[in-house]
Amino acid sequence: MLNRNIKEKGIESLLFAAGATAVIALFLLCIFLFREGALLFENYPVSSFLTDTKWLPTATKPQYGLLPLLLGSFVVTVGSILFSVPLGIASAIYISEIADPKIANVLKPVTEILAGIPSVVYGFFGLVILVPIVQKTLSLPTGQTALTGSIMLGIMALPTIISISEDAISSVPRSIKEGSLALGSTEWQTIYKVTVPAALSGISAAVMLGIGRAIGETMTVMMVSGNSAIIPGFPSGLFESVRTMTATIALEMGEVPQGSDHFHALFAIGSVLFITTFIINIIANYIKRRYRFSL
Amino acid sequence: MFSNAKLNEKIAFALLKVAMAMVIAFVVIILYDIISNGYGILSIEFITSAPRKGMTQGGIFPAIVGTTYLIMGSMIVALPLGILAAIYLTEYAQPGKTTWMIEMAINNLAGTPSVVFGLFGLAIFVKYFGFGDSILSASLTLALLILPIIIRASQEALLTVPKEYREASLALGVTKWETIRKVVLPAAIPGVVTGAILGVGRVAGETAPILLTGAAYFYPRLPSTIFSQFMALPYHLYVLATAGTNISQTRPIQYGTALILLLLVLFVNVIAVTIRSHYRKKLKR
Amino acid sequence: MPETYENGTEIEVKNLNLWYGDNHALHDISIDIPKNSVTAFIGPSGCGKSTFLRCLNRMNDLIPSCRIEGHVNVSGEDIYSRETDVVDLRKKVGMVFQKPNPFPMSIFDNISYGPKIHGMSKKEMPSIVENALKSGALWEEIADRLDASALDLSGGQQQRLCIARTLAVKPEVILFDEPCSALDPISTSKIEDLILELKKDYTIVIVTHNMQQAARISDYTAFFLLGDLIEFGKTNQIFENPQKKETEDYITGRFG
Repeated sequence: MLNRNIKEKGIESLLFAAGATAVIALFLLCIFLFREGALLFENYPVSSFLTDTKWLPTATKPQYGLLPLLLGSFVVTVGSILFSVPLGIASAIYISEIADPKIANVLKPVTEILAGIPSVVYGFFGLVILVPIVQKTLSLPTGQTALTGSIMLGIMALPTIISISEDAISSVPRSIKEGSLALGSTEWQTIYKVTVPAALSGISAAVMLGIGRAIGETMTVMMVSGNSAIIPGFPSGLFESVRTMTATIALEMGEVPQGSDHFHALFAIGSVLFITTFIINIIANYIKRRYRFSL
Repeated sequence: MFSNAKLNEKIAFALLKVAMAMVIAFVVIILYDIISNGYGILSIEFITSAPRKGMTQGGIFPAIVGTTYLIMGSMIVALPLGILAAIYLTEYAQPGKTTWMIEMAINNLAGTPSVVFGLFGLAIFVKYFGFGDSILSASLTLALLILPIIIRASQEALLTVPKEYREASLALGVTKWETIRKVVLPAAIPGVVTGAILGVGRVAGETAPILLTGAAYFYPRLPSTIFSQFMALPYHLYVLATAGTNISQTRPIQYGTALILLLLVLFVNVIAVTIRSHYRKKLKR
Repeated sequence: MPETYENGTEIEVKNLNLWYGDNHALHDISIDIPKNSVTAFIGPSGCGKSTFLRCLNRMNDLIPSCRIEGHVNVSGEDIYSRETDVVDLRKKVGMVFQKPNPFPMSIFDNISYGPKIHGMSKKEMPSIVENALKSGALWEEIADRLDASALDLSGGQQQRLCIARTLAVKPEVILFDEPCSALDPISTSKIEDLILELKKDYTIVIVTHNMQQAARISDYTAFFLLGDLIEFGKTNQIFENPQKKETEDYITGRFG
């Protein structure tokens, strides 16, 4: 009996250790990321990193200005959200409130295919198909623009936005909707005055997670947005080539010597990226938990 | 007034339908483009031979092998770890600070960009542990990346096991762990498998993390040890499409690679979804 | 309360109190449950009878917010003492649940599950399974399909399978938590006959919302109301000559 209890306790400790791996991994991730990033500031002041307007890592007097990359990520992300949020929420409403349940059961997995396609395939498709279209339609010198990146990222964020919004909308209790319909509202009035507001927290969480996905995406933007590290204007920057934080890391890491300032600068960017998505995740999860329907 | 509301509804519904149609159109166009342009080059030779003549000819065999190794390597680590963690969270964890911390860590790992995992893998596995640019470093990095997916799917699967099974077993004087091992886990297997398969799909498609931890631009031999560099399908596609010697000449090879990758990932997802829906139906019965 | 029982006392409960969080769900329950007889717990839903039943094999341990004070002795051992091993206790005090809950395995594997884990050898399994199914009054119906899934049995058969599964572990006490509430009348009467058969070898405690059932099969009856044990005595005395007004109200109300 004693033996058995020791075995049970031992197993529980082992399982706990497995659960704790997630915490340890996150902890180590922070340590290693921030430590490598912080090494940059031994030779390059933090203030310059944050305020310099140029990213010129290979110049004779290198400049590691975060701003062009941060704003590059910003422009592409905002563009993708403007594109994917209305489209995603509209589709979610269609699936959960309007479509015949049988059709909805087909539409859902079809939209989920978008989540399964690897980002490099999106990038490839964007490069071969969308880039020439953007260039011709808008008669731009190059089709590799922030706009192209935004559209591709928007498509990639769609499944996240649709599936979480759809969950939120369909979890609004039937009784609330029936209450509105019984007062003589049309179905559409019920949707936009009652159902969607009731699901708003879930929808906001969906949007936050969509933003997180867009900011963190690497391969697609790198392949379709041109990658010039210039501070973009807004909205004019949408039609120019931009470089995001993610693309910078992926593009340049292969060519820098380990331990150089440039190497550490890329980790510093990674740290900024991590902190940004970390905050977005916290907010998204907070919203999701806070306003869950308890009915 | 009445007809106004009716008219508004008609317009609104039409717009929603257009939005939905656009989303479906994206899926169809992307799939159609890759499949119609890619299937022409597919052949036994394409998937069983190495690239030749500066990657302008030949096949993608080393990339397929590399991706297979990555899948196996990351699964060996992430699968047991993820399942055990899920068992802890669903069966043992009491609500409190510790559990909250684990849940929070999982959520944040799930939302961390893959390129950040790449940086982390570079710093810890390649540099700190000295594994170098290798299959080992890349597999471990990818294992961390998919750990949240596997934990979440396994948790969901464990939660769907009716509590009556647990009670019945415990009431027979069976210990908690034996109950989990003999009754709960077997009932949860389909869901766990689904999670594992989704993880496979993710590993097969990820590029940024392996770019930083050991994927080779060109490595025509097959990797001989876990410390070798390797080629992988997604990175190969990226290289061919952006940095190959003759980008437009290799377009068919690019499409072929994209198609193989897409088929692999979609196939894997279809299996996962089928198992999941079959399993959900069975539970409802 | 009856002072002594002809077969002796199996379970003694003294001043048991139970809380779910801040909710005081059972108040100072004391009761002696006789050996080799059937004791029924009756009362309106929410009266605490099932909660009390689950105190007797510590199934309430599974509910994190649940707190218990008092003493429960099963064949002389305090089951809430530090030295008590819950797993051993549950071997001794088996339980059959409201909803039949066979495992998603074959009939054979369901019965052999407990004995196997408790270290019986593989060789003995067929005879253990046969004996358990015979005692569970199920053998004749399913002897030829032991490999079939337990989930394909009818509800009544599933419940008898669950009883047989409990018997295979060789308990001393069997707790029944409304075992017939999900069953049709024919299955119910089969289970009732089985319970009467089982009391020769086991101490039986049964929670039921069906007073006729209590009257039909039990030797002793305890009436619970709002977390209190109102009255306990011989079944015919409780039904024919209740001492407390609440008991009488409940019984007459139901019997019309």
